[in-house]
Amino acid sequence: MGVPIDISGLVDQLRAAASDVAKKDISVLKGFSERQIKAIAQQAQLVAMGIASGQITEETQEFFLDSLKTMAQSFANTLQGLAKVTIEKVWNAMVGVLWGAIGTATGIDIPALA
Amino acid sequence: MKRLVGILIPLTLLLSACAARLAPSYDKAIADGLVASSQQLMTHFAATSAGTTASSFAQRDATYSSLIGNLDALALQAKSRPSPKVSVSDKVNKYLAERGINLSDTGEVPSAAALEQISITLTKMRDVDKKQGVTAFEVAAFKGQVVIYLDQALTYENFLEREGL
Repeated sequence: MGVPIDISGLVDQLRAAASDVAKKDISVLKGFSERQIKAIAQQAQLVAMGIASGQITEETQEFFLDSLKTMAQSFANTLQGLAKVTIEKVWNAMVGVLWGAIGTATGIDIPALA
Repeated sequence: MKRLVGILIPLTLLLSACAARLAPSYDKAIADGLVASSQQLMTHFAATSAGTTASSFAQRDATYSSLIGNLDALALQAKSRPSPKVSVSDKVNKYLAERGINLSDTGEVPSAAALEQISITLTKMRDVDKKQGVTAFEVAAFKGQVVIYLDQALTYENFLEREGL
C-alpha cells in the first residue's frame, strides 16, 4: 500500500521543476536575443554607411539590403526553435515529478519516459 | 516568469501522455563541424579584410569551394536528423495560438537554415570577388552577416545538448 498524493506539495514540486528549467533557459534566450538585435542593428548601420559612401558597390547593394530581412526572419525562427527546446525540457522535468509522485503513491516503480 | 510558468505547466500536462521530442537530437559532429567552419570562415575574412581584386581571385578560389562545400554538408547533416513527431508540434502550436501566441512554424531546423544563408553569403562574395573584387567595406559587411548567422546556428546546436539526457 502506497501513500496518498499530497496535492499541495506536488503542485509546489511541479512549479519548482518548471521554474528551474525556465529560469536557466530564459537567461540564455535573453542573451542570444540581445546579441542578435544589436548585431542586426549594427549590420543595418554598416550597410547604410557603405551604400551612402559608395564603398558597397551596386553589385552587392541589393543583396545586403535583402539579407537584412532574411537575417531578422532567421533570428525569429531560431528563437522559436530555442523556445521549443525549453518547452520540451520543462515537460520532461515535470513528467519526472509526476511519475515519481504516482510511483510513491502506488508503490509501483514506473519506468522513466524515454 | 509567472506568466510563462502558467503557460508551461498546463502545456506540459497536455503533452504528458506523449513520449516524443519537440526538437531534434544533439549531434556532436554537427556542433564540432560548426566550430571548425567558424574558424575557417574567420581566417578567410582576416585574409581578405583589406579588400581584393579580381586579378588575384584564383588564389582564393579553392578556399571558397572548400568553405561552401563544408557549409552545405553541415546544413545537410543538420537537416537530415530524424524529426520529432509533427502531431506533437501541432499540439504545442495550437495550445499557444489559443492563448494569443502565434508561431509561424515552418518546420525548418534553425541551424540548417542559418547554415544555408551562410553558404548563400559566401557564394555571393565569391561571385563578386571573381567579377570585380570586393572592397574592404564589403568584406566587413559579408563578415557581419556571416557572424549573425553563425551565432544563430551555434546557439541552437549547443542548446540541443539537453542536460541529463
